[in-house]
Amino acid sequence: MPRNDNKMKNSQLYKGSLNTIIMKLLEENGKMYGYEITQKVKAITLGELQITEGALYPALHKLEAEGLLDVEVEKVDNRLRKYYKLTESGTKETLNRLAELEDFIRNMQSLVNPKLEF
Amino acid sequence: MKLTPAQIDQLYTFTKQHYVEYYDLQTELVDHLANAIELEWESNPTLSFETLLNKEFKKFGVFGFMDVVEEKQKAMNKKYNNWVWNHFKAFFKLPKIIGTLLSVLLLFHMMKSITISHEVASLLTLIILISLWAGLIRMNKKRIKTAKEEGKKWLLKDIIYGYSSMAGMSYLPFQIVLHFENHPNQIMLFFMSLFIVSMLIVEYIILFEIPSKAQEYLEKTYPEYKVSNQ
Repeated sequence: MPRNDNKMKNSQLYKGSLNTIIMKLLEENGKMYGYEITQKVKAITLGELQITEGALYPALHKLEAEGLLDVEVEKVDNRLRKYYKLTESGTKETLNRLAELEDFIRNMQSLVNPKLEF
Repeated sequence: MKLTPAQIDQLYTFTKQHYVEYYDLQTELVDHLANAIELEWESNPTLSFETLLNKEFKKFGVFGFMDVVEEKQKAMNKKYNNWVWNHFKAFFKLPKIIGTLLSVLLLFHMMKSITISHEVASLLTLIILISLWAGLIRMNKKRIKTAKEEGKKWLLKDIIYGYSSMAGMSYLPFQIVLHFENHPNQIMLFFMSLFIVSMLIVEYIILFEIPSKAQEYLEKTYPEYKVSNQ
């Protein structure tokens, strides 16, 4: 199926999952900084999915305000770098959200591609 | 190729020029832009710093950093409101609830014994609101002074010291006072007492409790607060 990359990165379908994507990455990698997250997503999806900067930081700040993320700052090269990591409640919430997302994917799959033999 | 300290300063200036006035957000965006520029340089070492900066800035969309700034403000206000709420809840748990209940009952009995309870309640509400405003204005003046001395602005610090809570805080109590009945029955009187005591508690939290813990809260929210003030 031909895919339009430009459209994909702005797709509404992904917007709803952005928080879950961020939390999943933090769960796997411990602490990460903003730019690292954008690069990681790009690398994993082979460039097909690009998190826009204008969406990433608001999502991170919101998760932080909700108490799901904690921040750390380190001096790297000649500048300060802000790292994000999951809090205890953030780790629990990640599991919930992943389960929810997996359910969603499964349901979508059966709706889009119904297996008639069932 | 790594960015020089002068270029990092240039990035700070760039964020300021694009309406990011808070240091915490500036720092995060500066690191982001710096990372992006450094990575680009690996594949295009001939491109200039300015060209790459503009290219990266465009990725933030037509509104530039505005969305990020706006959302950050919302997130921080939410954080602050959560603190107020958590402090408030503590007044309705042991041991503080004893004092809270005694104050409510005392006010209730006082209002029960007078005929102008409605007027007294309105007056008390007004006094609390005016003193809250006065306290916020005083804190705000102090904040502006220290911000000038420090040369850096912190969003959450501005919120704690009276920047954004004013407008939202005053509308609701006025509406509630307008709905106080002229000849309240006992239940109504009890709720009026509870409301006045609650307002007093909120005022105390905003003007004293949270500011007294500001350092702790700020350091927790902004690890760079400590680093950059060293």
